[in-house]
Amino acid sequence: MRFSGAVRRPQSDERRSGGLNEGELLARVRARDMEAFERLYRIYQPRLARFLFNLVQRPQLVEEVLDDTMMVVWQTADSFRGGSKLSTWIFAIAYRKAIKARSRWPDPVEDDPYDTRVSDDLTPEEDLGHQRLHDALQMAMAGLSADHRAVVDLTYFHGMGYREIADIMKCPVDTVKTRMFHARRRLKDAMSGSLEDWL
Amino acid sequence: MADDTHIRAEELLPWYATGRLDAADHALVEAHLACCAGCRQQLTAERALIDRFQALTPDIDNGWARLRGRLETRPSFAARVSETLTEAWQLLTRPVIAGLATAQVAFVAIAGVFLQSAAQPAYVALGATPIAGSANIIVMFKPDAREADLRGALQASGGALVGGPTEADAYLIHVAANARPAALEKLQANRNVTLAQPVDGPAE
Repeated sequence: MRFSGAVRRPQSDERRSGGLNEGELLARVRARDMEAFERLYRIYQPRLARFLFNLVQRPQLVEEVLDDTMMVVWQTADSFRGGSKLSTWIFAIAYRKAIKARSRWPDPVEDDPYDTRVSDDLTPEEDLGHQRLHDALQMAMAGLSADHRAVVDLTYFHGMGYREIADIMKCPVDTVKTRMFHARRRLKDAMSGSLEDWL
Repeated sequence: MADDTHIRAEELLPWYATGRLDAADHALVEAHLACCAGCRQQLTAERALIDRFQALTPDIDNGWARLRGRLETRPSFAARVSETLTEAWQLLTRPVIAGLATAQVAFVAIAGVFLQSAAQPAYVALGATPIAGSANIIVMFKPDAREADLRGALQASGGALVGGPTEADAYLIHVAANARPAALEKLQANRNVTLAQPVDGPAE
């Protein structure tokens, strides 16, 4: 019996990259090609926005940290030697920037952090049910620490392995596993009742 | 032992569900799932959680225009080149630097005359070029150019390195006045060179 089956990846970046792979894009960025940098930005902006939103939980801070991250990419593209994946390098920059920014804004806000629009195909009852589940998940996530949210987001949404996450967060692999373990426990506790509705 | 395997497998379930485990960990989880109903149930919940999680979309607009604005508030390339040329010229004409350069040239000239009169036969090689003390070309290289590329470009141009790298990563070189157009042409044709311009005075 086999149980595996990877979740779908968020979306293809081929269109945004204009047919160039990330290595080619970065080579052009190093040569100060603004068009290539815009392509790279458009590939990473949605991923980073989501990652940072989970980390800092303030829309205005997401924009600031995301811009700062991409400024560092533009200014230090030469320093990337290919020792890791480009995404690991960029997410590590974003993580460091976010942690620094959070130290200035320690308390999470109560803003509605997600667009919770749901499909028009749903019946009003289903719509209400989905809305309730989304709210429950959103609140459960907000109750986690920033590091726990980061591990959950990098795993569940960005599809990263624990080693890559450890590289980004500059911590041991076992710490990533432990954080994920505790984050899942807390999510389950926070959503008790709701989770069963999905199954 | 069984408990230990259960805990390890449970820890790895999220990455099993996303297909991001290496072969050994994958085999461990798969073997455990075959005999643990609790973990199989957890895996189902895990996948449902992932699906829901992926459906949450932060409402963040695309900020390229904002970032582009930030990048463009930095001095443009042309402005930085102009600034570099001006800085280079100011450096070369600064009284202390100019004084030191003059003293150095004077020392070389006096020492040269002394050595020539003391040790050289009484003839002068035709075409011998005196070492000049001032730069008359400024050159900038691509950020990824290697040291060997820089050396090769300078040698091909026939120039001598006088200064640099400046704060803007520019190099100042000297070539004989009559060889300068050809040197500039060679430098400008070099694929590792982003800028090669004569330095005769402050940039306009």
